[in-house]
Amino acid sequence: MSAKPKLRSVWVFHLNTGACNGCDIEILDILTPFYDAERLGVKLVGSPRHAHAMLVTGPLTRQCYHGAKKAIKAMPPKPRIIVVIGTCACSGGIFYNGYPIYRRPESGREGCEYPRRGGIIELIEDLRDEGEYVGPVIYIPGCPPRPEEILYGIAQLLGLVEKKLEGEHYTEEVGFELPEAPINERIRLTLREKLRHVVGYFDRDKILEDFMELVKKAEESEKPKEELKKLIDEYNAKIRDVRISFCMRLLENEYWRVRDALSAGKEFVYWV
Amino acid sequence: MPVTLRYPFTELEAPPEYRGLPHIDPKLCIGCGACVNACPPDAILRIDDYDRGTRKIVLDIGRCIRCARCEEVCPTGAIRLTNLFEAASPDRRDHIEVVELRLVRCKVCGNYTDFTERQVKKALQILPKEILEEEALEEKVFICRNCRRKGTVDATINATKEVVL
Amino acid sequence: MKYLEELKAKFGERIEEIKQLAHNQWLITVDKDILHEVVVYFLKHPEWKETQLSTMVGTDERPLRGKFSVTYWLSVNGNSDDVYIGIKAYLPADDPRFKSVTPLHKGANWYEREVQDLLGIIPEGHPDPRKLVLPDDWPSCVYPLRKDFHYSDSPQGEKYYPYREPPQGTTVHPIGPYHVALDEPAHFRLYVKGEEIIDCDYRGFYSHRGIEKISESRLTYDQICFIAERICGICGFTHSTAYCQAVEAAGEIEVPERALYIRTIMLELERLHSHLLWIGVACHLTGFDTGFMHAWRLREHVMWLCERLTGNRKTYGINLVGGVRRDFLDYRKEMIEDVLKKLKSEFGKLVDDLTSTKTFIKRCEGVGVLPYKLAHEWSVDGPLGRGSGRDFDVRRDHPYAAYGDLDFKVPVYKEGDVLARALVRIEETWESIWIIEQALDQLPGGDILAEYKEIPPYREAIGTTEAPRGENVHYVMTGPGNTVYRYRARAATYNNLPAVPDMLRGYTIADAPLIIASIDPCYSCTERVQIVDIESGKVRILKEEEFNKLSIKASRRV
Repeated sequence: MSAKPKLRSVWVFHLNTGACNGCDIEILDILTPFYDAERLGVKLVGSPRHAHAMLVTGPLTRQCYHGAKKAIKAMPPKPRIIVVIGTCACSGGIFYNGYPIYRRPESGREGCEYPRRGGIIELIEDLRDEGEYVGPVIYIPGCPPRPEEILYGIAQLLGLVEKKLEGEHYTEEVGFELPEAPINERIRLTLREKLRHVVGYFDRDKILEDFMELVKKAEESEKPKEELKKLIDEYNAKIRDVRISFCMRLLENEYWRVRDALSAGKEFVYWV
Repeated sequence: MPVTLRYPFTELEAPPEYRGLPHIDPKLCIGCGACVNACPPDAILRIDDYDRGTRKIVLDIGRCIRCARCEEVCPTGAIRLTNLFEAASPDRRDHIEVVELRLVRCKVCGNYTDFTERQVKKALQILPKEILEEEALEEKVFICRNCRRKGTVDATINATKEVVL
Repeated sequence: MKYLEELKAKFGERIEEIKQLAHNQWLITVDKDILHEVVVYFLKHPEWKETQLSTMVGTDERPLRGKFSVTYWLSVNGNSDDVYIGIKAYLPADDPRFKSVTPLHKGANWYEREVQDLLGIIPEGHPDPRKLVLPDDWPSCVYPLRKDFHYSDSPQGEKYYPYREPPQGTTVHPIGPYHVALDEPAHFRLYVKGEEIIDCDYRGFYSHRGIEKISESRLTYDQICFIAERICGICGFTHSTAYCQAVEAAGEIEVPERALYIRTIMLELERLHSHLLWIGVACHLTGFDTGFMHAWRLREHVMWLCERLTGNRKTYGINLVGGVRRDFLDYRKEMIEDVLKKLKSEFGKLVDDLTSTKTFIKRCEGVGVLPYKLAHEWSVDGPLGRGSGRDFDVRRDHPYAAYGDLDFKVPVYKEGDVLARALVRIEETWESIWIIEQALDQLPGGDILAEYKEIPPYREAIGTTEAPRGENVHYVMTGPGNTVYRYRARAATYNNLPAVPDMLRGYTIADAPLIIASIDPCYSCTERVQIVDIESGKVRILKEEEFNKLSIKASRRV
């Protein structure tokens, strides 16, 4: 968007091209007290003929295609801004190559292209091929995007904020790190997988990190088993969370089981 | 009592639990492709180039449904969902993150193999040193699938010959 | 099950096989010629008052046994235990036909049309065998759910849809697919005489995204949880739970108790936000916008809570086959308690405001009455059914997750008007708060995700949940190589929408938007594969834009 259109109050029309309703409800949500998009001059209008911008959601199903095309053609010739809301509209989302989803023949249906194709851009390119003017497009990914995310996109359109994201390309030159954990890597991975079943993927890393620190301290002492037990007791008294305490106890048992087996040279299953 | 938030005129941070934009830490990524297999909408791609000897792991935030399956399966903790959410952009190329890694060159035939140098380093870290000899390993891991198969077959044939003789 | 003996006595030899799939599911294989008789026999069984057609599945089993199959799944309620019955018949591959059930039971209409569209199985004697699901420009005789069709193929055909001929002397007035009053795309075709609407034709399925085919081909068991969640953006979690339950039943995976409780809490939080959303919309449609803003302001606290518990405001993404992905640490439990406390005080105030607003009550009372008899005929479920005296709730009658251990009431009203539905939802909101409180107190310890090996192929099962809108039914037939062989999802709105014409008849046009909204319709849910047909003539439907205006005017009059 080099030549930014001068926009103050954007009137928008909501175009659903087969979305799951998640994004549509979030669009309604930005009109409610906490977010109140109307303070930015945004108004939801009843007809594409009154709209400056089109809020598009959904992966563009073939059944919706013809109606959506007509709706965009019905907009005033300028500025015809397209605000693409949600991952589906940005690139087809999880549905991207299902049989009822519209894709241009040259987009193919399976491929390794990137940026990933699909969504409303297929229709916009068709329109541009037909010689129709379509104004700037702004993409707001998310599944569904938070109301703040939509507000941010609209504020960017109005020139209130700058974009924060840039494409990134890294090569080997950034360097490689292979973090050495205080405990044997195989044991660490085993414990990590075990924790996934106990507290889930989200909390496990923090808990495991704390545990490994305690192990490191304990291994330095003369009686590591007793020391670890003592350290974990202290830790649990401090953290005061039943679940984390439970995990610590479990990790302690698992750790000694796996380690003893390892040092005895026994075969055992690492991965749960 | 007014409750409307000041956003977007103020900064706002999503809660730490929020599954926001995914990001690959290029220093930690070994290019194993576990995330590629787990990703439901194919937002992460693995593109191997055997002529140039590179593997690209491509992440497209504009296709990502933020399910965090990649974070769950990543063995090195390289890919994570941050709590950032401001991804709006007029250019889809802003949503792309590429990590390009070198593939291992086979010691025997000189072609590129289908694994990265970093994968080998990670594998060597995991393998129990007590059981396997490190030098023997170093020999073996840098050989591509075809040459290894051929090597095994040759060894077997030789062994059979010896038995026969 | 004693009724099986009864069935054997009646149909004897022609029942080919009876087998138990899961603790509450039986599959009865019958000869294809008596399929419709057996289905109707169960539907009209005098001892099972609330029995209904839950879903129907057509499967291309040619790679397995050279035949197609259709299965009608009935949920049996009333004087029986927790029972689901599947009635299956195999059809020959070269001539897949079966006798339609629709002439005997209205509710089978779309199920059979869908099977015809997607698999090319022909229901003989169907009163309205038009295209239902596939796009207008889809070529005929290409059946996407057959196994020889590749999931990403998308053949082009000629754009054509056989709308019904307008009745004599009427004019056609099209509405949609994009229209101000339609939140989601749908096409209404009104046949009008002057201002009066004589008849109405409907074309839906604009949101048909081919979820079932993608699930059967591109995705693995765990990945389907996420696409199932995206069937609907409002009640997605019930969908993914139903899917997980189906796979867990088929694969005999034992889910840890803690995971069941976490699922229960999330399901109820979802119900809270969905009901608050509905109350807001109802307020808006009765011209009480203050109520709308307050309801949505309250709802926002639930959304923020869910964001902190699961990582996202909607599409929670914490279900996996075998359990859940995130645990409730102590501080998260405290957050739930805080929000519940807030809700309890403020929701009470909102309800007081609502019930003391005369216009709201007057607009709802005695409007859109759906008598019990009709409710039963259409097999409506959820708050709509309970507002019409159908005493049926999946949570109580077929307990899943942790509902078996919890104590809650199922509010039932006999009036059948919009007010009754509103009251059912308000009471359910209170019950949800109560359920969450109990579940939090009883939250057991242990794992949250089961460890399981392989899921054996070609096992069948269904999973059901009570969504905020009614019964969700997911059917799964497991397959080889970590994929499902057949997946079928049915959302609540599917059963509810056909009853709308009966509710509209005889009321003023100004009441129509409220009546339609009172069932809380959700197209994307229904259309994941299915949609409504407001045909059945004689329905008065006006342009929805005018509805809304008239609707708000009517409030001013009161």
